[in-house]
Amino acid sequence: MADDGVPGSTGGSVVVPIESTPTLRATVTHLVESAADGEFSAIHFVVFATWRDGDPEAADREASVDRLLERVSTWAEADLADVDEVDVDDVEVVTTVVGGDEYLFGADDYVRELVAYAGDHGIEHVVLDPEYTPVGNTTLLQSLEFALSRTDLVVREAPVARPTRRERLRKEATGIRFAAIFGLSLAFYLALGDPFYPFDVVTGVASATVVAVTLSRVSLDADPSLTRTPIRLLRGAVYVPVLFFEILKSNLVVARVILDPRMPIEPSLNRVRVIVGSGLPITTLANSITLTPGTLTVRARDGDLYVHSLIPWARDGLFDGSLERWTRFVFYGREAARLPTPRERDDVGIFQGPDATEEYPGARADGGSEREGAAVVDGSTADATEADGSEDAEEVTPE
Amino acid sequence: MIDALSPVRLALIVVFGLCGLFFTFVSMAGVLRLPDVYSRAHTASQADTLGAGFTLAAVALAAGWDGAGFKTVLLLFFIFVTNPTAAHAIARAAFEEGIVPWTEGDERR
Repeated sequence: MADDGVPGSTGGSVVVPIESTPTLRATVTHLVESAADGEFSAIHFVVFATWRDGDPEAADREASVDRLLERVSTWAEADLADVDEVDVDDVEVVTTVVGGDEYLFGADDYVRELVAYAGDHGIEHVVLDPEYTPVGNTTLLQSLEFALSRTDLVVREAPVARPTRRERLRKEATGIRFAAIFGLSLAFYLALGDPFYPFDVVTGVASATVVAVTLSRVSLDADPSLTRTPIRLLRGAVYVPVLFFEILKSNLVVARVILDPRMPIEPSLNRVRVIVGSGLPITTLANSITLTPGTLTVRARDGDLYVHSLIPWARDGLFDGSLERWTRFVFYGREAARLPTPRERDDVGIFQGPDATEEYPGARADGGSEREGAAVVDGSTADATEADGSEDAEEVTPE
Repeated sequence: MIDALSPVRLALIVVFGLCGLFFTFVSMAGVLRLPDVYSRAHTASQADTLGAGFTLAAVALAAGWDGAGFKTVLLLFFIFVTNPTAAHAIARAAFEEGIVPWTEGDERR
């Protein structure tokens, strides 16, 4: 089972630490597809025992882990059956439990076990499920990746879409948030109706109550403050005409480009790391960018916005960060607006086109590799997988 | 009702209406001409921002500053909130699906 350790090389084995997560199913599919592409010849799904053999509850936990591993191997078999171009016998799927002889505490313990297991089985690759957080510690994956980076193992995260976490949308319910939502919806209702007509007032109170009960836990992150909110609204009122002017300007430029018979567009995907708060500020900024024709926010990853630009002019405007500065002004005031532009901060990157500075960040490499694999002839398929493999390995770092 | 309006106001209504038409037309041309889903999403937002914007401005001017005019301003506000959200949702879905944006030299999709 030895292999030469080059990422994406054919024939190596891979170890995948798993637990029951929403993305586990997709991770299994990704691994089977990678194996079908020739990246791996054996997939080891391992579960770290959270018990020690002989503990009072060990039997129960062991039974639930066994059920999990059974499920995973069923999934893997089903996926292997779906992939017709590969000889199913060529891919070996192993499921096992490790670490049953001692308690594991931190990331280092897990990594030690993983390295030992890999050494025993001649494995040089690790693929992580993005949602994998052993012992339910949400911060562990980061340090797990860090600890793994100091080993000889080749690590990457399975490029699968994370599910929407609905739990995060629900916030604390407080009286002031309820009152704010209630007041706002009542005011809106009466603005559309007649505030002096009793029927409208009664139905308005009823519907505002319904809205406040259902949405006050969702709409507001924090209690609206009586001092800060009006100031922000005032600054927002200053911002709106500026935004209108920007929209008008870029509309004209883009209209000219579209109506030009040669249509001189030069689209590219770009990255810009913005310094605005999470939540409402970054939403405001991303929406402003999208509202301005010529730039379109595709993805927000941590502080990074992936912005598609239609023409270099729009990209330059984005990198000059005028909208970012205005957003900071609206939310944090005049001093906060004085910051170097993203270009000066070196917080920008271009993924495509002649001026590209960074590699294109695939969202799901499996979708891309399938197409490429279909397009290229036999000899170069290995190259395509290799390129995909290294891309994935790099994607782990920024997340 | 139009007869009662002053000539300046009438002229503004016509100008705004024509501007709205123009940008809606540009947006339509863009959706037809541009090469891929991302660039089309750019220009689709043009119809919503300036196309609808100018048209609603014309409506507000024609309706006057009473109830109807106020409501068109609200309408504009909601369009400006929902339009980028929808455009972003489309672009993000395309990105998650692994669609690589068109660049110069690619085949038109």
